[in-house]
Amino acid sequence: MTLAANSPTTFPISSARREPGSRPRRSASTSTLGISLVTLAALIALWFLAAHFEWASPLFLPSPAEVLTQFSAVWADGYANGTLLEHTLASLGRIAAALGVGIFLGIPLGLLMGLNRWVKGIFSVPIDLYWGLPPLAYLPLLIIWLGIGETSKIVLLSLSTFAPICFAAQAGVRSVPVERINAALSLGASRLQLFTSIILPSALPEIMTGLKIAIGAGLSTLVAAELIAAQSGLGYMIMSAANFLATDVVFVGLIVIAVLAFAFTSGMRWLEHRLIPWKGKL
Amino acid sequence: MLRIRDASVTFPASDGQDVHALDHVSLDIAPDSIVVAVGASGCGKSTLLNAIAGFLPLSEGSITLDGKEIVAPGGDRGVVFQKDTLLPWANVLDNVALGLKYRGVSRDERHERSRRLLELVGLADFAEKPPYELSGGMRQRVGIARALATDPKILLMDEPFGALDSLTRETMQQLLASVWAKTGKQILFITHSIEEALTLGTTIVVMSPRPGRIVARFDADFVREFAQSGDIGPIQSHPRFIELRQEIRSLIHQPEGARTGTLQ
Repeated sequence: MTLAANSPTTFPISSARREPGSRPRRSASTSTLGISLVTLAALIALWFLAAHFEWASPLFLPSPAEVLTQFSAVWADGYANGTLLEHTLASLGRIAAALGVGIFLGIPLGLLMGLNRWVKGIFSVPIDLYWGLPPLAYLPLLIIWLGIGETSKIVLLSLSTFAPICFAAQAGVRSVPVERINAALSLGASRLQLFTSIILPSALPEIMTGLKIAIGAGLSTLVAAELIAAQSGLGYMIMSAANFLATDVVFVGLIVIAVLAFAFTSGMRWLEHRLIPWKGKL
Repeated sequence: MLRIRDASVTFPASDGQDVHALDHVSLDIAPDSIVVAVGASGCGKSTLLNAIAGFLPLSEGSITLDGKEIVAPGGDRGVVFQKDTLLPWANVLDNVALGLKYRGVSRDERHERSRRLLELVGLADFAEKPPYELSGGMRQRVGIARALATDPKILLMDEPFGALDSLTRETMQQLLASVWAKTGKQILFITHSIEEALTLGTTIVVMSPRPGRIVARFDADFVREFAQSGDIGPIQSHPRFIELRQEIRSLIHQPEGARTGTLQ
């Protein structure tokens, strides 16, 4: 106290040190938000200029205005057997199903692999092997086995979301500090109590990270799968538009995917903030 | 009464030579006593504590608590670690109540008992805070309250104040002395500080490394005076304190020097 009173210049430093919680981080994120918004505006302005002065042929680079017009047209009248909403919902449905499968299989199996040598020994080799393969390389095989319908696509996507979630749950179990486990045991925890009260919450930050990776992997696999074999979805819409050189529709599709990806990331960040505010502390 | 008889712990080392972390150690910890094990790092004092806690199996010998052989960790031995092991997702009160929750004590009762313990360690106003908003010393106090919550027969403390600054450390020593005077718990306390050992111990055992052994034991009762007065100054300038400190210091340093001599 006296130190701060005597030398006021040291005061902000000491007060920042006293509160290592969310305040510095929040002010840091608002300060980058401004910069990011300016960058975004500059990119759009550049696009505007490039289209206006026809730096590239309008056939290849549509103007923002055209894309906007096309957006409302695709929204209202549709393109390639469906409206924009129908295509978006088709894609979202697939990714939701795949994430569901990834979560409900990946988390329990990953936790078991972290806890048990036998489970880890049995499952780690097949998962490692298929996870290294590019999904589009085995998509033809899945189509031959499961047909051209939804099943092959959801299986493909589930395979790409399952592995990162499973790995993350396994890493989460292994990241539990041994002192924390010893402390719980010396407080009389049973094996079940140890799992539910210590291991599961300790693994949660890793699992959330795995979910973020799974969403990213799922989204990129999804669009790729729809480009090859689908009758609906954003990837299918983009591919159909590209066949007719309708670059404005391609842009509409890309923007929707970008917004979806951004929404997923923000949603996950919000969820992390709600579920694990203690992440990285202690 | 905790009885340690001929306890040995041997680890296989990477070079094929076994490491005798603990070599035929025998020790009794009577009720109402604070036994402090002091020694240089590697002398086996933490190994001894981990074996009593049940985290490490003995290679030889036995440890019994009130006649019951120790084979695994359990709620009858409360442990306070050097690194605090509080759960970041639970508030201070729920951290203290954790052991009671494991025993199936009802929510109201475990909260009431935990509040009383938080009062004992002077943290009644911090019950609802997350542990990461507390200072290091406060977190260790929560750790002590948590270990006491299940009313263990013995409290095992592994260099609990080792990571604290010297002022906080003194406050914590005072707190422990007064908690001990109030609860009469038997305590095994591990430290590498000779002053801390003499201030807190009713019995001080000096350990030496490779193999980990007890080389001397002293009885002291500075802690009773300390618990009453709360003033460390007069105790540490007591002639008997200075004399014991010198004796223990030479015990800890001498065999180490002799040993490096034989190794070379």
